[in-house]
Amino acid sequence: MFYFLPLLIFSSCQKVVTIDLNNAAPHMVIEGVVTDQAGPDSVLVSKTGDYFTPALTFPQVSNAFVTIFDDRGNGDTLKEASSGLYYSSALQGVPGRTYTLKVTAEGKEYDALSTMPYKVMIDSLYATPLREFDGDRGFTVYVAFKDPPEQGNYYRIKPHVNSLPPDSIGGGRYLLYSDKLTNGNEAVYQIRLGRNVNAGDTVTVELLSLDKATYDYFNTLKDVLSSDRSPTSLSPANPTTNLSNGSLGYFAAFAIDSKRIILK
Amino acid sequence: MRLALQIFHRSNARRVNTVLSGLELFRAVDRAEDSGETYPLNKTLFHIVERLLIKSSKSSRNLKFLAGTKVHAEAFIYYMRLIVVSFIVVSAVSILLPDYAAAQHTFSFSGTIKNAETGEALIGASIFVENLQTVGTTTNAYGFYSITLPQGTYVLRIQFIGFKTGEDTIVLDRNRSVNFDLTPEPIKVGEVVVSGERPNTNVTSTEISVNKLEVRDVNAVPVLLGEKDILKTIQLLPGIESAGEGNTGFYARGGGVDQNLIVLDEAPVYNSSHLLGFLSIFNSDAIKDVKVMTGGIPAEYGGRLSSVVDIRSNDGNDKEFGATGGIGLLASRLTVDGPIVKNQGSFIVSGRRTYADLFLRLSSDTTINRARLYFYDLNAKVNYTLGGKDRVFLSGYFGRDNFNYPNFFGYNWGNTTATARWNHIFGDQFFSNTSLIYSDYEYSNTVGAGTSQYDITSGIRDMNFKTDFQYYINTENTVRFGVNSIYHTFLPGSITSGPTSSANNLTIEHKYALENAAYISHESELLPQLKLNYGLRFSTFSLIGPANIYSYDVNGDITDSAAYGSGSFIKTYTSLEPRIAATILLNEESSIKTSYTRTAQYLHLLSNSTTTNPSDLWIPSSNNVGPQYADQVDLGYFRNFSNNEYESSLEIYYKNMQHLIDYRNGADLQLNPTVESLLLFGRGWSYGAEFLVKKKYGAVTGWIGYTLSKTQEQFPEINNGTPFSARQDRTHDISIVVIYNYSNTWTFSATWVYNTGNAVTFPSGNYMIEGRLVPYYTERNGYRMPAYHRLDLSATYTINAKSNLNFSLYNAYNRANAYSINFRQNRTDPTKTEAVQITIFPIIPSVTYNFNF
Repeated sequence: MFYFLPLLIFSSCQKVVTIDLNNAAPHMVIEGVVTDQAGPDSVLVSKTGDYFTPALTFPQVSNAFVTIFDDRGNGDTLKEASSGLYYSSALQGVPGRTYTLKVTAEGKEYDALSTMPYKVMIDSLYATPLREFDGDRGFTVYVAFKDPPEQGNYYRIKPHVNSLPPDSIGGGRYLLYSDKLTNGNEAVYQIRLGRNVNAGDTVTVELLSLDKATYDYFNTLKDVLSSDRSPTSLSPANPTTNLSNGSLGYFAAFAIDSKRIILK
Repeated sequence: MRLALQIFHRSNARRVNTVLSGLELFRAVDRAEDSGETYPLNKTLFHIVERLLIKSSKSSRNLKFLAGTKVHAEAFIYYMRLIVVSFIVVSAVSILLPDYAAAQHTFSFSGTIKNAETGEALIGASIFVENLQTVGTTTNAYGFYSITLPQGTYVLRIQFIGFKTGEDTIVLDRNRSVNFDLTPEPIKVGEVVVSGERPNTNVTSTEISVNKLEVRDVNAVPVLLGEKDILKTIQLLPGIESAGEGNTGFYARGGGVDQNLIVLDEAPVYNSSHLLGFLSIFNSDAIKDVKVMTGGIPAEYGGRLSSVVDIRSNDGNDKEFGATGGIGLLASRLTVDGPIVKNQGSFIVSGRRTYADLFLRLSSDTTINRARLYFYDLNAKVNYTLGGKDRVFLSGYFGRDNFNYPNFFGYNWGNTTATARWNHIFGDQFFSNTSLIYSDYEYSNTVGAGTSQYDITSGIRDMNFKTDFQYYINTENTVRFGVNSIYHTFLPGSITSGPTSSANNLTIEHKYALENAAYISHESELLPQLKLNYGLRFSTFSLIGPANIYSYDVNGDITDSAAYGSGSFIKTYTSLEPRIAATILLNEESSIKTSYTRTAQYLHLLSNSTTTNPSDLWIPSSNNVGPQYADQVDLGYFRNFSNNEYESSLEIYYKNMQHLIDYRNGADLQLNPTVESLLLFGRGWSYGAEFLVKKKYGAVTGWIGYTLSKTQEQFPEINNGTPFSARQDRTHDISIVVIYNYSNTWTFSATWVYNTGNAVTFPSGNYMIEGRLVPYYTERNGYRMPAYHRLDLSATYTINAKSNLNFSLYNAYNRANAYSINFRQNRTDPTKTEAVQITIFPIIPSVTYNFNF
């Protein structure tokens, strides 16, 4: 946030440049999610590719053995629906339980633990037109919820506007919130929606209650996805993962509450 | 020489003994007497100081009657003790001096060298004794010098760059006070006239890796937006690298930006930048002298690993009132100075403010025109000479950056320093300076407005006592010693929130620490061709209660906690830091120098960036965080040409750094009571060669500096534990500075810089998470930014004696230097990835108007 100042004074210039990058050997990537919503839950097992090769050609890992069990022994062996994508059939997450993911692929075993926190509900969702600067358009959406009394609650806020493609808002930016400074209080999270959002649009907001490891993962993922790194930013690094054996990615169990409003 | 020291010590010890009976320190001296051993002076003094520092801090812990205010009482008693003992030691020594001098049939002449027009003391002026080739000295930071010689008649020659040479014949039949006023010389234009011999102190002194920056060079060098800046100009010296374009942060010989000790009039400055690093807090109108040391750091400096930047500000004209100032694109400045009592005391007040926000006020938008974006700073100083032996200074600095966007957020930060100094000359050979310094740095961040507003603040506060002595024994020997004690208060952060704010009130526990140091060094001319400056700095650092102290395992999880009461010593570190420098004079024009320096750093900067930021946090060494150490050796060949018109040097160095700090991934440093658990510790090393040619005289002056170096770091948790290039590892670094006094009205200057790009971390692959492409990193700093180069030009037109106009052109050939390179998905075709380079400083012209009256 401190670096816009020189940018404000001088018109900066951007250009696409050619950089010769190394091509690292393909590395295991696992993305697994359990929610308290009706299934199926999914696990994607893939590998890294070269940076500049066109996307969507990532090597997917087939024939992996994938299981998710909770701490009471309930669980499921996931079935491969399409190459590298594994679905559960009889699993629905329950807040308060700890889930274990095990993936055996290409002769190696990867596992991870995640505890699904108790669900925090959205108390209210409301919006006002943006008016910080003259000529502003768009809306500010307020997500109000009550943080539980104990310290250590973590959230992700996922907004979606019906007139826009999925993930197009809050896209590269992960909207995360922790109760580090606001424990036990009524929290009001503000989402600014820009000029391509209009009155009449429906906004759906999901409030995800995360455990700390998942929050840390998204927080560090947000860092490496941020495209406005300045030369004085600390060196980027792969996000902190809860997976064992050096795999990239994460396994998260989270509870979701959602609400929607129509902008006026 | 050794005999002299023994004589000195023996008579001295006896007298000190009688003077100090009742004080526990006598025992140290006593022991030397009893054993009959030849106890060297420095060892004795070291012993005294050691006892003072260690014993006093232990014994005063028994002051139970002051339980509530124990720490403060302890600090106070400690300071009083230091003052009293220092005073007694010095008095005792000075009483003895006549005896000693008489025994040798020598006398001294001493005094202060000043600018004849302004009365400013001149720092680093050379004093030579005609016909005694090897005899000479330079003035200290207060313009004082002292030379002791056998009875006789001597011709003294005094030289200082930019001034006419002074000469005087002195009949030395008693101790004499000889003050000189040197007249400034108009800048030479056209043909060079050689006027007598020029000083070759750069060859003969024991200073290695030391650069003195002339303020006239700082004024002539072209700069971004015409804002002269000392911390940017020093980046043009070999061994010093810029931390980023347009940034005042710098790296010295591979060290981090937090490893530079920046001292303004004896006071360490914690955050030396305004506008997020864009300008330094040092208003160049108020600056007299700048000395930069990247190696061979003398024993009187300590507390940071890699460099010392010693900045001395002007004292003010003690002859007549005057004002100087400048109007620039970014900021304007005004300095007013004048005598309090003519030739005895003067004052100077210097201020500077930016006015970008004045333009914001013109906006019709009510939110924008209420926004505040400015900084200002104010330097004020008075000094007064009491008789011939005492001089007192009171000075202060106050600066604030203010960046407010009403009802949404605001950032305010700044430094405050207040210094009281007292120079006293004992006899004619003994110079002392005692300083009491208060210094603080504060940062605050306001979010929201009205009842839902909350404020986050953090900072550091120091009380600093310092006393330094310089004893000019004879022409071959000078002894310097002193003590320094700093009581630090760390304010890691607190939140104050309004009644409807969602934030809770929170104060991260303050931390307290006592940092002490004592040093002694002896500069000695063992042979006419061999000079030695050896010294020892003894430093201690104690973390003091009250505090709740945690212990962590390797993963940063808490394993244990303990509560310490007020005034208890939680953790103490002690370090011995030897400092040795030697010069072998090959002839009048060339020498070989070498040095070894060990430095310790007890304060650590935690920052979300690699340069300084307003929210930076200084933390003390503790049970979890040990001091950082550096050992450095260097070797240099110094050679002057054409009657010292050209100076050149080639230096090679090797530096080893222990206990460097890095962070765990995603470390949240702000308002975190267990911030120490987020730190990683490793080591680093840097080696290189630095080449410098400097032309000091004539119509054309300037220098060419070239550095070839390598800097690496190693942390067990980073890069799989294998060494990686430090970000500031720049293989080649070239600076060329040319200043041309073309005529009495026009001065031109140019600088060209080139350096290898920073070592950076780029992805070596990518993968998909939630349908987004995520870069995959395999190694730390495995790639390079493109090479950086830039030409700046400047022309100064002197309108009349009172004013000038400066035109400058930054980045004259409009090189698109990479400020950053980011990797991202193409905005229109998300299946494609691309690397995007951002350039922020294109060609930028500017004009500044400077005046004085």
